[in-house]
Amino acid sequence: MTPQTRNLTRPIDKFAAAAAKCSKEGTAYGKCILADYNNVHLEKCGAEFMKLRECFMVSLSPDMHEYH
Amino acid sequence: MNTLSVRAFIPPLTRRCAPLCTTRRYAVQAPGAPTLEIFSHQQKWKQKERAASNIEASRNVDYLRDEVASRLCERLMDINRHFPRVLDFGANACNIARMLTYPSEDSPDAGPRSKRVGTLVSADTSEKLLYRDADLPFNKEVDVQREILHSCETLPYEPDTFDAVLSSLSMHWINDLPTVLSQINKVLKPDSPFIGVMLGGDTLYELRTSLQLAEQDRRGGVSTHTSPLADVRDVGGLLQRAGFNLLTVDVDDIIVDYPDIFSLMKDLQSMGESNAVMAMEKGPIQKDVLLAAEYIYKELHGNDDGSLPATFRLIYMIGWKHSPDQKKPLERGTGMFSIKDYLEQGKMEGGDK
Repeated sequence: MTPQTRNLTRPIDKFAAAAAKCSKEGTAYGKCILADYNNVHLEKCGAEFMKLRECFMVSLSPDMHEYH
Repeated sequence: MNTLSVRAFIPPLTRRCAPLCTTRRYAVQAPGAPTLEIFSHQQKWKQKERAASNIEASRNVDYLRDEVASRLCERLMDINRHFPRVLDFGANACNIARMLTYPSEDSPDAGPRSKRVGTLVSADTSEKLLYRDADLPFNKEVDVQREILHSCETLPYEPDTFDAVLSSLSMHWINDLPTVLSQINKVLKPDSPFIGVMLGGDTLYELRTSLQLAEQDRRGGVSTHTSPLADVRDVGGLLQRAGFNLLTVDVDDIIVDYPDIFSLMKDLQSMGESNAVMAMEKGPIQKDVLLAAEYIYKELHGNDDGSLPATFRLIYMIGWKHSPDQKKPLERGTGMFSIKDYLEQGKMEGGDK
């Protein structure tokens, strides 16, 4: 595998591109964490994260099988 | 009755001491004894080799090392001397050698900085990274001698060999800094400087905090993703302990803006600066955590234009090897001039001196 082809298909690039499409949901999630960031516990912002994750899955859909 | 008769043969002193000896111990850590191993050198070596095998990507992320190496060279130029033999300890891709071929920022017309340096011995553990730029033109302008080290914590040189030792952005991976610093002190000639720079303190605090918050929310706990680093306060003590004189320690922040958390992590990986803490979790960061961290980073630290700042805190240290005829600081209370008057005089005249 040459470096060029490897760079084009690196999973992290696809991940970044898909994550960038969900800035609305992402901002909502970030704001939820930030509202009280000294007291974060498990699933503090679970609902907001699920929305972000759903959006992320849709924008990643062609490669959905790669996301576990 | 039997037990009593046995006890009678044991001298009274041992008898009194025996129960104590079994419960309490007295231990001294001798200098040079193996210290706690925090970073995995094998892991670090692997990361550097892998990073350097993709030459193009590796060169693209030289921005930080080049800038820091250049600032380090400026500090070397502040010493008005010629250095026939200089060691670059932890040379990475010989960034110091390349930066020496550029003229000094203070005197752009004076020619390359390498005029003041004789031979530069660049030593590092990673062969691929060290020889990455060996065929570039700058190698002809400065006398570089590349040497591969077997361990980044041992300096295989005779005492009193070098006129200066430099180290740029590699000492933050050393487990046993006191020993390495005293070895550096040993290989220096008397009255010669050691000038080093390492990442410390709040380096990458944005990444650290975002990952911590993301992991707390997603997994309910935190694991190690960034290295523990030395603080400015520690460095002075370390240098002094290694036997250096006339210490100078100062701090410099370089803030780089990245489009997203992934670019930052990719760049760190291409630099060979990924996590190499022994206690780290095996395998990559969970995808949920990464996705959460991206947006927490944006909200908590992001710039107005949506980019993410990453702070690199550089700790510069200068120490001189002891020599009997070295200039010493004047005794306390012997000053004839108030520095306060001097500074206020400068302010009134509108100058910055």
